[in-house]
Order: sequence, then C-alpha cells, then structure tokens
Amino acid sequence: MKTILLIAGSTWKASFRNKATLALTLILGLALCLATYIGWQNFNIQNGQRLKYKQIVRQQWLAKPDKHPHRMAHYGYLAFRDKHELSFFDFGIESFAGVSIFLEAHKQNTVNFSEAGFSNGMLRFGEMSVAMVLQLLVPLLIFFLGYNSISAERENGTLKILLCQGVSWRALLTGKIAGIIAVSFTLFIPVILLTIFMWAMLSHWQVTADAAIRLLLLVLAYAVYFIICAGIAVVVSAVHKTSRAALTTLLACWVFFTIVMPRITQAIGVKVYPSPSKIEFAAAVESDLHQQGDSHNPDDPHYAKFRADVLKQYGVNDVKDLPFNYGGYVMAEGERISADIYTRHQKALTKTFEQQNSFQVAAGYLNPFLAIKNLSMALTASDFNTFADFQDQAEVYRYGLAQRMNKLQKEKISNTPPGEKDKPLTISRAHWAEQADFKYVFKPVSQVISHHISTIVSLLCWLMVLLGCLLLSSKWVKTL
Amino acid sequence: MDQRIYLLECKIFFRNKTLLTGILILLISGFAGLYFGKNFIERQKEVIRKAEKLQTENTARNIKYFGKELGLVLYHTKFSMASEPRNWAAFSNGQRDINPYLIGVTTLGLEGQLYDTDLNNPTTLLLGNMDLAFVFIFIFPLIIIAFTYNLLSGEQESGIWGLLRSQSATPLKILWRKFAIRMAAIYLTALVLMAAAGVYLRLAADLRLLTVIVVLSLYLLFWFALSFWVISRGKSSSVNAVTLISCWVVLNILAPALVNVWLTRKYPVPEALETVVMQREGYHEKWDMDKRVALNSFYRHYPQFKKYPFPEELAFSWYWYFAMQQNGDDQAAPGARSMQHKLTQRNDFTNAVAFILPGIQTQLTLNGIAGSDLQQHLDFQQALRNYHEQLRLYFYPAIFQDQPAKSIDWSQFKLKHYYEDGSGAIWQSILSLVVFTSLLSGMAIYNFRKKMY
Repeated sequence: MKTILLIAGSTWKASFRNKATLALTLILGLALCLATYIGWQNFNIQNGQRLKYKQIVRQQWLAKPDKHPHRMAHYGYLAFRDKHELSFFDFGIESFAGVSIFLEAHKQNTVNFSEAGFSNGMLRFGEMSVAMVLQLLVPLLIFFLGYNSISAERENGTLKILLCQGVSWRALLTGKIAGIIAVSFTLFIPVILLTIFMWAMLSHWQVTADAAIRLLLLVLAYAVYFIICAGIAVVVSAVHKTSRAALTTLLACWVFFTIVMPRITQAIGVKVYPSPSKIEFAAAVESDLHQQGDSHNPDDPHYAKFRADVLKQYGVNDVKDLPFNYGGYVMAEGERISADIYTRHQKALTKTFEQQNSFQVAAGYLNPFLAIKNLSMALTASDFNTFADFQDQAEVYRYGLAQRMNKLQKEKISNTPPGEKDKPLTISRAHWAEQADFKYVFKPVSQVISHHISTIVSLLCWLMVLLGCLLLSSKWVKTL
Repeated sequence: MDQRIYLLECKIFFRNKTLLTGILILLISGFAGLYFGKNFIERQKEVIRKAEKLQTENTARNIKYFGKELGLVLYHTKFSMASEPRNWAAFSNGQRDINPYLIGVTTLGLEGQLYDTDLNNPTTLLLGNMDLAFVFIFIFPLIIIAFTYNLLSGEQESGIWGLLRSQSATPLKILWRKFAIRMAAIYLTALVLMAAAGVYLRLAADLRLLTVIVVLSLYLLFWFALSFWVISRGKSSSVNAVTLISCWVVLNILAPALVNVWLTRKYPVPEALETVVMQREGYHEKWDMDKRVALNSFYRHYPQFKKYPFPEELAFSWYWYFAMQQNGDDQAAPGARSMQHKLTQRNDFTNAVAFILPGIQTQLTLNGIAGSDLQQHLDFQQALRNYHEQLRLYFYPAIFQDQPAKSIDWSQFKLKHYYEDGSGAIWQSILSLVVFTSLLSGMAIYNFRKKMY
C-alpha cells in the first residue's frame, strides 16, 4: 500500500513538473470554468425566455372573454419544454430538440424551434458544456499524462530496477493509475464544487432530494469514467515497447471512441430501424382513423352506430331532442378515437427511436465514452427519454383540455343550434381558470436509473475489467 | 537516380503497416460515409415521392367530403412544397436532417405552419450524420497527422538523421521526399473517394465538382502545412503528436464550440417564441371582436378584395374566417421578419468567423455547394412564403364569392418542387485556406532553413 502511495505521489509530482502538462491542465481548468459559466448563462437565457412566454400564454388564456368552449379548444395552449436545473452541466439533446408545442383540439403538433434549426452547422462541431469537456477533453489529458507512465520507465531502464527492488506489477500499475487519477481529480473536484454551487443557485437554494441524488450519481459516474480512462492509459503504456507507440494507440482509440464510433453506431441504428417521416406518420394515423371511425365522413359506420345508440338510450328520434349538446358529445368521441390512435402511433415512433438509440447504448460496453455520455444526459434530464416524456405529458394535457371543453360544450351549451344570423352561444369565462397551467414533471431519478441500468452496468463492467487487469497484471505484462 | 529513390521510398511506405492501416481507415470510412450519406438523401427523395401521391389523394378526399363548402375544403387541404436534394446533398448532408425539407401548408395562416419540424430522433441529430464530408473534414486530418508527425523526429530519435546529415548535401530533400510520398498517398486516396462519389452519387462534371475538389485539396494541404510546420520545430515525436492532436481538437471542436456560444449569446432568437404567440393571438382574438376589426385589417393588406361584398349578417362566414387567419400572419410579421434577420446575421457572423477556422470554412462551403445549409433553408422558406401568397391570391376571390369546390381546377395544385441554386462563399473559402497554408508552409521552411545552415 505504501509503495502504491509512493508511486502515485511521484507520478503526481512528475506530472506537474512537466510544463506541457501544467499548461494543458490550466487550459482545461479554464475551459471548465468557461463551460460552467456558459452553461449557467445558457440556462438562464433559455429558461428565462420560456418562462416569460409561459406566463404570457397563461395570462392570455385566463383573459379570454366568454366564448364557445370549442373556440377555446381551438385557441388551445402553448407549452414550453422545461429545462432541468442540472441541464446547465450537460446540454445533451437540448439544442437539437424543439422548445414549444402548440396544443389544440383534434390535432397533435410537433415540438418546434430547436436551437439547431437556428444554426448554420457550427453546432454540429460540438457544444461547449461542462460535460463535453469532462467527457472528451479530460480523457485526452489523461492519455497525454499516462501514455509514457510505464513505457518511459521501460525505455529508461528504470522499470527493471523498480521490479528488482520488489515492487510488484500490481503495485506499480495501481500507483501510476492512482497518480494520474489524482491529477485529473485536481480538475474534477473544483468542478464538482462549482457544479453543486451553481445547481443550488439555479434551484433558488431550494434543492430537492431527487436532484441531489442525480448529482451524486453524476459525480460518481464521472469519477468511474476517469478511473477507466486512467486505467486504459496505463495499461496501454504497459503493453507497448515505446512511448511513441503507446501514444499512437491511445490517440487512435480516443479518435475512434469519441469521434467516429458514435456517428457510425447511430447511422447503423437508423438504417436498421427506419423511422417514418411526418407525412408517412400522418398517413398511417389517418388510415387507422378511416378504419375505426372518421367523424369527418358523413357516411361513417362507427358514427352512424354511435348516433343510433345514443338515440336509443334516450328514447328519442332526433339528436336535437337529446337533453345535452350532441355536438360536444360527438366531438368527445372523435377526440377519444383520434387521440387513442395517435398515441398508439406516437408510442411506436418513440419505440423506434429508442431502438435506433439502443445501438449506441449497447456500444457502451465497447466504448466507455458512449456509456458516460448516455448516463450523463439521462441524469441531467437532457436525453431523448426526457424529451419523449415531455411530448407524452404535453399530449395528455392537450387531450385533457380538449375533453374538458367538449364536456363544457355538452353540458353548458344548448342543444338547439342558433340560427345563421344569431349570436354564437358562449359560456362564462370563469371556466377558463378550471384548466390548470401546463406543468412538466420530471421523471423521478429511480425511473431514470432503472431505464439506464444497462448503461450503468456497462461502466461497471469496464471498471471490473480494469481491476481484473491489475490483479492479473504479472501474468500479462512483459518487463522487457 | 531520383526515380529509383522515390520507388524505394514507395516500397518503404507500403511495408509500413501503420500507413497502410491509415489508408484503409480512410477508404472504409469514406465508403461508409458515401453509403450512409446517399441512404439519407435517397430516403428524403422517397418521402417526397410519397408526399406527391398522398397530396393528390388527400385533396380528392377533402373535395369528396366537404365539396359543398370551398372554405372547408381549404381548411383541410394541404399544399406541400419539397426542397429537392441535389445529388451533392448526399456528399454533405449538412442541415438537411434538422431543417424540414418537406412542408405542407393549408391556405390558413402561414406563420403557424411554416416552422413545423419533421419527426426527428434528437439523438441522431446530436450525433450527426455520417457522410463523406465528415470523413474529409474530421478523419483525413487525423490520418495526415498520423502519417507525418514523426517524419523528422522519428529519424532523429532512431539516430538515422545524424547519419543522413553528415552524408547527404541536402538532407531536407530526403525529408521532403518522405513527405511527398505521404501527400501522394493521401491525395490518391482522396481521388479514389472522389471518383467513387462521382459515380455513386452521379455527380455531374461541372464547376461544382471542380470547386469541391479545389477546396478539399486546399483543406488537406492546410493540414499538411500545419503538420510540416509542427515537425519543422524539431521537437520529439511525442510532443509533435500532442501538439498536432491539440491543434485538431482546438480547430475542429473547441473553437467552433466557443464561437457557437458567442453566436447564440450575440444573436439570441426569442422572436421564434414571440412569433408563435403573436400569430395565435392575432388570429384568435378576432373571434371575440367586431367582424369589422378583422376585415379592416385584412383590407389594409389586400385592398383589391374590398370589392367582394362581406356577408355581415352571418354569425360565421368563411370570408371572415380567412380574413381572421390572415390577421394572425400580419400580427406575427414583425417577429417573423426579425427572426429571419437574426438568422441572416447569424449566417454572416459564422461565415466571417469561419475565415480563421478551416474546418468550419470547408464544411460551410461543402454545405453551400450541396444546398444543405441554413441559407438554403431560409431561401426555401421564402419560396414557400411566395407560393402561399400565390395560393391566397388565387383562392380568396373564390372563397369570398362562395364558389363551389368543383369550379376549381385542382389538378394544377400538385406538390411543388423547389430547386435551390446558390453555392455559398467559395472565394472566401479558397482565400482563407490559401492564406493559412502559405503562412504555415512559409514558417516551416524558415524553421528548416535556420536549422540546416
């Protein structure tokens, strides 16, 4: 143990004695501070905009005068995608997913206005966030630190001396890894503290247990990630004869894991599980609608039966004689059927997208970068699942709003239609406040974890393999 | 003599496994890029073909169901416009995945429909497309770095350099020969990929092709020059590798990310949300106002329609409805214009900054040539605005006169194809690349001169 600490200590000292390392660490430290500031700014600006318009939308909704409820159903609602406080840390898909969705009766709209749509391609080169620096650049620093950790000793001939002095391979490798981890943690620990501070500030000093667990897991996950990276660096250095060869291998790995592999796995996922375009999706929904019941078709059998049933139930011959507004009643049925069909298709679409993404989730077992990327996005609620969940909650709200208005129409609006030239029927505006504001609720962290269990396992697998490598090190490393 | 030495160098080159692996990586990823890039564009073409068919069917059904009321037919009928991908779009997919290439709009308010996106997997958008442009911009430089970083230092470290210097009058020439062989190998690989692209993507042998070849050649030359400069500093192989990789990270990841942050802070686009809110309010509030309010505002925009008598006494008329819808657009117009302006500003800003960032510069140029950049999308939106205006002018009189749907010749309203013909700032790109390449080569040659004599 003492030897390990000794080796770790000297690795740590040697690293900082090297000017290039010191410069790189400083640059990365600055980059991290900058990224934290940018994330904080980005959160404030984006969230501020959304909150502003969210309030305007609510005020406008409440200020509507007496109206026919169906008009109100078409006036609808605008929902804005909330940002999680932790999303300042990792932007994830934030910039690539839409921000606002218009919720109206009979129609499901897309979530529009993503930041990516306002960009002419620079965004595709990468986004500056704390997560990006930690995932992409810190490993590069670790590789720069670790590529010659063993191979340089070998080249200098000190390796033989060390081993002759009774230092075991296990202790040597562990010590080197610990030293490099210590260097990366001099960057990481201030970032953690800064992150905790920012997070508390962005939550207005009212932190929730859920977010605290998310943050704790995030810190743990990144710590494991750095340990894995340091392990890879030292192990690669140990198996190469020269430092140059070790560096080449490490850089090639870095490029392949972080730049090439993510694109290729996703491209394969998209190819294997093609998703429908919007018009194909709409056509599929419509074709189901025609089969099950199309309220627009005057000769639709479903609605003919629906009408006959209600007439029979109330013992009347004409819908005009019903004791409630028949229009509202039919529309509720139409909304039910169409929303049902839409939700079915939307679920299938989300599943297809998840299947597309499953390739890179699985690739996490081969590529720790993808594993940490997915986990980090999930924990900061900036991943695809959160987006899909937002869409689901928005649709539930939309459906609730439309059906509330249909119910109001059924119950409060006279069943005798006004004449062509009469004033339209209205209900009191007091009803508008009954429709609560849209509030997105983030999934609890327990669900996030259970959904990403495979990613967590993949990171742990990497850690296990690394430990295995260390324990059995004397079996596979050659001294000369 | 010279020829023989080159032949020998070639032999050494091909004996080297690292170099062959590099070429192989380029070829494999290049072909993968071609395949996925083309696949992506073929899919868009297929969707456009389907949309063409669907539009005819849907219009026919709407006429069948609602034929009695033209207003109701138009309420439901969508008129689509498709931004047809060029063959080059398969080479550089650009923003064609993020921005919708097919937009269907009814003759109601346009602003509420213009910004609808396609159904996208945001994770795919985040990770980006795998196309040949990606291989050229990201992977080629890395292989160039791998090929050249130890050219001088490797010889120095193995002790050969000293021997060479003492025996040859022109040791620089030897170095240059090695460099030239590697350049030839890279350019040959690039040529093979370009030829494959030409055949596979059916690229015409025109000015576009020439421009792409020139720009890409210059881009690769820039990386050779950078590498040449780094090795000319005479540092060790490891330092060279670290320096070059850091350059790559800064130029292709860090600097663009920072510029992007600057851009989003300098030109935020709150107008997007404003436009949506204004459009919705501008239209819906008219339901609760005197009909004249909507109508007067409508006549201010279209005085020519005053001549059609308005059925004032009716509680509802399609005349009123379409006028209200148009009001929404008028109300949203300042926001929409300001949003367009912001996006143009963003475009200009990026183009200006790209001058010092060769990776972005090349990507933007390729996107411009491929018709897959933001400008192209803005042009497409403008084309759709014009088309929508045409539709309005055509249909308004028919609606206002309560003409039956049968009186309209619907066969003229097929899916509209939009072909874009811009090509971006090519000269800036060439100039920027030439400037930096010459600068770096000059510095490298200076370094060498200083060392040799």
